[in-house]
Amino acid sequence: MAQKEYDFKCLNCGREYRALYDIKNVTERTCPQCRSNSVRRMPEKKGAAKT
Amino acid sequence: MTNSEVESVSGFVGNFNVTIRKKARYVDPDECTACAECANICPVAVPDEYQQGFSSRKAIYMPFPQAVPSAYILDMENCLGNNPIACGKCADVCEKKCINYDDQDELINIEAGVIIVATGMDVYDPTEYDEYGYTRFDNVITSMEFERLICAGGPTEGHFIRPSDRKIPKSIGFIQCVGSRSRNGRGNPYCSNICCMNTVKDTLLLCDHYPGVEARVFYMDMRAFGKGFEDLYMRSREEGVKYVRGIPGDVSENDENKNLVLTVENTTTGRREIHELEMLVLSQGVIPRQDGDQIKRLLTLSTTSDGFIMESHPKLKPVDAPTKGVYIAGCVESPKDVKDSVTQASAAAARASILLNAGKTRVEAITSHVETDKCNYCGICADVCPYNAILAPDRKAKRAPTIIQAACAGCGACAAECAQDAIIMRHFRDEQIMAQIEAILEVEPHKHLLTFACNWCSYAGGDNAGTARLQYPTTSRLIRTMCSGRVDEKFVLHAFRLGAPMVLVSGCHFADCHYINAVHWTQKRMDRLWNKLDKLKIRPDRLRLEWISAAEGQKFAKVMRELENSVRSVTMEEMEYTMKIMAEEENRILEKKLKAAAKKV
Amino acid sequence: MANVAKDSDGLRIGVFVCECGLNIAGTIDCNAVSEYARTLDDVAAVIQNKYTCADPGQNEIKKAITEHNLNRVVVASCTPKIHEPTFRECVADAGLNPYLFEMVNIREQCSWVHQSEKEKATEKAKDLVRSGVARARFLEPQTELEVPITKTALVIGGGVSGIQAALDLADGGHQVYLVEKEPTIGGIMAALDKTYPTMDCSI
Repeated sequence: MAQKEYDFKCLNCGREYRALYDIKNVTERTCPQCRSNSVRRMPEKKGAAKT
Repeated sequence: MTNSEVESVSGFVGNFNVTIRKKARYVDPDECTACAECANICPVAVPDEYQQGFSSRKAIYMPFPQAVPSAYILDMENCLGNNPIACGKCADVCEKKCINYDDQDELINIEAGVIIVATGMDVYDPTEYDEYGYTRFDNVITSMEFERLICAGGPTEGHFIRPSDRKIPKSIGFIQCVGSRSRNGRGNPYCSNICCMNTVKDTLLLCDHYPGVEARVFYMDMRAFGKGFEDLYMRSREEGVKYVRGIPGDVSENDENKNLVLTVENTTTGRREIHELEMLVLSQGVIPRQDGDQIKRLLTLSTTSDGFIMESHPKLKPVDAPTKGVYIAGCVESPKDVKDSVTQASAAAARASILLNAGKTRVEAITSHVETDKCNYCGICADVCPYNAILAPDRKAKRAPTIIQAACAGCGACAAECAQDAIIMRHFRDEQIMAQIEAILEVEPHKHLLTFACNWCSYAGGDNAGTARLQYPTTSRLIRTMCSGRVDEKFVLHAFRLGAPMVLVSGCHFADCHYINAVHWTQKRMDRLWNKLDKLKIRPDRLRLEWISAAEGQKFAKVMRELENSVRSVTMEEMEYTMKIMAEEENRILEKKLKAAAKKV
Repeated sequence: MANVAKDSDGLRIGVFVCECGLNIAGTIDCNAVSEYARTLDDVAAVIQNKYTCADPGQNEIKKAITEHNLNRVVVASCTPKIHEPTFRECVADAGLNPYLFEMVNIREQCSWVHQSEKEKATEKAKDLVRSGVARARFLEPQTELEVPITKTALVIGGGVSGIQAALDLADGGHQVYLVEKEPTIGGIMAALDKTYPTMDCSI
């Protein structure tokens, strides 16, 4: 599995969440709150503990 | 080719390359004489699917007597094993020696000019309607099961008997719209089209077989709209079939005689009624094929919200799929009866014949080509091409990539990813799109939402909203590209530079992408752009992304309504700041390019 | 690329504004859109029609191409999904390369969705026409690739629809492959006893 946990933020409603994602083989993202597809994968913070 | 499935499809109109998996049958259909000796000796009995499980078949069997091809098939899952020591009885008795336990799946490649998709439908399983007691009560059956019980070729040889005591029931009820026209989360919201008339037919069959039988139909609306339908419905009423307007809320079983007791509000009289019936038939709805995803993906077909395949145009191109050279017929498109299926099939065959007879067709001149002098041989174009239509460049030999024109479908992902602007999309050139952006933002740019929409899904979704007269604010100004994958980073940045408050990129849902996976590049590019905006201290939420299918006019209008407020939330100061920053950014990129060019020379 | 500039010498763009009966004209002030189009650079002729797609409308386009020596045509009407092929053929008849034609959608994506905002819808239509004209300036003639059609059909699914389609194609003299998942053709219809409305046998 090339999936890892990433931070996502919906640019429509502002909802933030963490989810498993494969950045090589991208899939459709939908905000769990407002159903928008404007879901940004937030840049990984340097030095943050890996899960 | 029976017992076969389409495994892969490549190519384009007129030149599809299809791989078909011919599954092992273990019986040579050309040699088999259907003598039945093998089935007679086979020791394994399993429920017969064709007879809805009312009777059994052997592990080597013929699906039904008139099956085509008229040959037996070995069901390897239930066979005692292809080890002759374990069984092997059928092979022993077969005089023609046409049973081969070692038969293998075979992959067959064919070339096809046109493809007709007629993969049909499934029927709704009413088990989740627990209050009707299907599977809990013996004498509650489905309409498909009814067909087998009344059929002379069925398990009872046409004697319509009820499962609990094998007696012929004197009273039979039908509940309509099971799994159809439902808004409560069970079943489907659409009308399944065929069930009303199917029940009318069933009641007439009963009256014909058993004069004096009492049949009652519980319905919401009886829909008898086709040629000859009303006559048939009236005949049923004249035969004494009772039609009760009202769907039962509850069915229970009488413990003693296994009769069924229905509680129903008769909405004509407004009274609550109790009906005791000896047998109950659930008129099950039609659902899209549950195993249809593979074909959908292979032929890049999309579905309407009900799950059936979407046609190219609901009125003017009802049997054409959006993919050129592909046609649809029958229940894969929507629930329909035999006559409508035949009509649509003939229409699809006629449409397909046009291409076959012409022997040639023209493809739109929207393919890409390379301006070799600009290329820096990075090879990204060959990586992103969903069709493998680009022969990768060779850095050492200084050979620019080559585009195979016949294989290029014109999505433009390569042109958008090429940082050197060395790839030109015919009819969707950078200059053409840039000119549109500039023209749109020439007048009152700060008031408008610049929208990019892909031709196949989002643009069609916008059209769909229009056809349905869904009203939304006038904020948006739309630019059509073939694919959202064509939307270059520089288009978005340039729009912000010219004062756009917001930019919306819209395209097909991943599963609907008409260019296999070009939409992946849209998503990746958006992530890059969001990060870039963030870095430049421009609110990333001024760049939006929405996947809107051709059927989602509702979503298109909703997005437009939502973004109206977002556009207004962008302040003049913000826009002015953005314009300044973006002008600097564009200059920086330009300088970098000039330097690189100078270096190359 | 900061500003797209193009040598506009020799550009002669014709803009055709369609009323589509009242489908467009009922919401959008087509006269105002036409007037506006006249003010755009390189526009050599603006013609308004009740129905541009109908024969009289198409004849106007052909006539204008000759009379005004047009080398680009912009039609502001409905979605290109319906009439782009129609108009491409129309301009080709008049001797213009079909790719020198551009369509602007002021019906499905303007008049029909902004029915109660007539002024704003008219402004939007003007913006869209301006955008279409801007794109038209950069259009280039194209030659379509002609591809051969393999004279073989594939029918996926051997139910009543698939069988009918395959038979029709075969009767028309074409080679057909019919692929069915199950061991027998017939599909769901083969499991039925009788079929309505004629109550005849299904097999």
